[in-house]
Amino acid sequence: MKFLGLVLKSAKRSKRRTFLTVMSVAIAVFLFASLRAVLDGFNAGAEASSSTRIVTIRSTSLIFSMPTSHGEAIRVTPGVQDMTWANWFGGIYKDPNNFFANFAVEPESYLRMYPEIQLTPEERTAFIEDRTGCIVGDGLAKRFGFKVGDKITLQVGIPVYGTQDYDFTVRAIYRSGGAAVDNQSMMFHWKYVDERSLVKGQVGWYVIQVSHPDQAVQVAAAIDRKFANSPNETKTDTEKAFQSSFVSMFGNLNLLLGSIALAVVITTLFVAGNTMAMSVRERTTEIAVMRTLGFPSGMIFLLVAGEGLLMAVVGGVLGVAVARALINPNFLNAGGFIPAIGVNTGNMLVGLALSVIIGVLAGLIPATMASRLKIVDALRRVA
Amino acid sequence: MALIELRDVTKAYKRDAIDIPVLERVSISVPEGDFLGLMGPSGSGKSTLLNLLAGIDRPSRGAIRIGDTEISSLSERALAAWRSRHIGFIFQLYNLIPVLTAFENVELPLLLTNLSKKQRRDHVMTALGIVGLSDREKHYPRQLSGGQEQRVAIARAIVTDPTLLLADEPTGDLDAKSAGEVLTLLQRLNEEYKKTIVMVTHDPHAAERAKRVLHLEKGTLVEAQQPVG
Repeated sequence: MKFLGLVLKSAKRSKRRTFLTVMSVAIAVFLFASLRAVLDGFNAGAEASSSTRIVTIRSTSLIFSMPTSHGEAIRVTPGVQDMTWANWFGGIYKDPNNFFANFAVEPESYLRMYPEIQLTPEERTAFIEDRTGCIVGDGLAKRFGFKVGDKITLQVGIPVYGTQDYDFTVRAIYRSGGAAVDNQSMMFHWKYVDERSLVKGQVGWYVIQVSHPDQAVQVAAAIDRKFANSPNETKTDTEKAFQSSFVSMFGNLNLLLGSIALAVVITTLFVAGNTMAMSVRERTTEIAVMRTLGFPSGMIFLLVAGEGLLMAVVGGVLGVAVARALINPNFLNAGGFIPAIGVNTGNMLVGLALSVIIGVLAGLIPATMASRLKIVDALRRVA
Repeated sequence: MALIELRDVTKAYKRDAIDIPVLERVSISVPEGDFLGLMGPSGSGKSTLLNLLAGIDRPSRGAIRIGDTEISSLSERALAAWRSRHIGFIFQLYNLIPVLTAFENVELPLLLTNLSKKQRRDHVMTALGIVGLSDREKHYPRQLSGGQEQRVAIARAIVTDPTLLLADEPTGDLDAKSAGEVLTLLQRLNEEYKKTIVMVTHDPHAAERAKRVLHLEKGTLVEAQQPVG
């Protein structure tokens, strides 16, 4: 402990340089923790997906639809236990900037197959019985102040749904019981939308329940075989793959964000290392004096390395604290595409560990330089 | 038995594979309680001799014994520990740590000991008292005059009560008045506190304060004098 004062005094020698070094580590750790949180958010939906739900989409792309006749064929496929369907509606609430996910679903089967959408029996009935009713996630309700009974008007976002605005009544506010369903979405009756669509009887995707995860691959293949060589070929995959396909619309995020984080960290490592090496060079005489007083080279190494570690850890604490404060579900609203993003304790610990690694690695060369200093040569330089 | 015993000490530096001799078979014996002045022109090897005595440089040949310890055979680690116990070094340019107060500068060598915080404080205040700077303990080096800085450096050198005080041109950067004060202080440490001192100097006035002066020229002792003054 008696040497801590020495390390602190040394770090305060050039306040501006120390501040900049601490800030560079803080920014690197902030970015790292934030990017990790974003990646976790993107992956959480896929990770939490059900292993007994499979999803059928058009083989060409998710943006193309299928006829309702596909549903009847799917329902009778061996191994299919239950089935529902949905369409991406893409409606606009007042302003395109108010983006959130809104789906047209077959309410009864959809709620049956997604127990993660938590409603009371009364709320469920109220939604099912009102053709223009809708349910909204509690996150979305909080964001726009929606309450049960409110009227919500969505402008048409995709021309196939006509030109007239759609009016809905909020029948319930659901809670999310798992990351597979976010709390930022709005769902309403598929029939209501289909009635006003320019092309009737179209479905965006089917969700199929199988009794056992082992059956998923077999049932998926059987479904796709049914529509092979038809004008509307299908691609059936696990819900996890389906969730990932949403994420993959943004490109290879893991690689992209991971690369950015790595580049930032490595750059910071070099910046911090160079700054500390400069600081050691400036202190050559002082280090030589301390060695003359009897400080062993090992202790000089620890003092210099400790200084680097201290700066990096202070930067790390600052970085994760700011990341925790700023990166929360309210900061980035992905409109239900991905579950809420927030820097969690795991992200913070990884960020702190990273700052320790930066501190240790950045201090290694300067500390070695300092400990190997030849006293006589160092004193002669100033004499 | 003499406190310092140098036997046939030779020191040469290597520059581009060429040996440049600095000290040539120097033998000196310094009794305990001596105040030895080392004089000589630049490049005569007096600072090198001081560095060898301090254990911060090693002789190319020959042996150096200080007290009971043959320091030329000690490992780097052992030498560092030995320095912390036995050597007090006073530099020409004071070499105080600018971010530490006078108190903290003087306390620095004590951090290597097992003394408690209170014991360290007592030692530091005693040392600052001896050099007459008790009231400047909280001052930073930049807030002190050159003479005061050197007195703090002397306090740092004596705070561990070392066996030997080594001073490399201690007045070389001071005005005449401050130089006089520093020399008086060194004399007092020698006479009153019985400290053995070896001082390198260019200045004949400074050398006059020593009990004995040795002259070095081109790495060899050319003249030995009995106590001056």
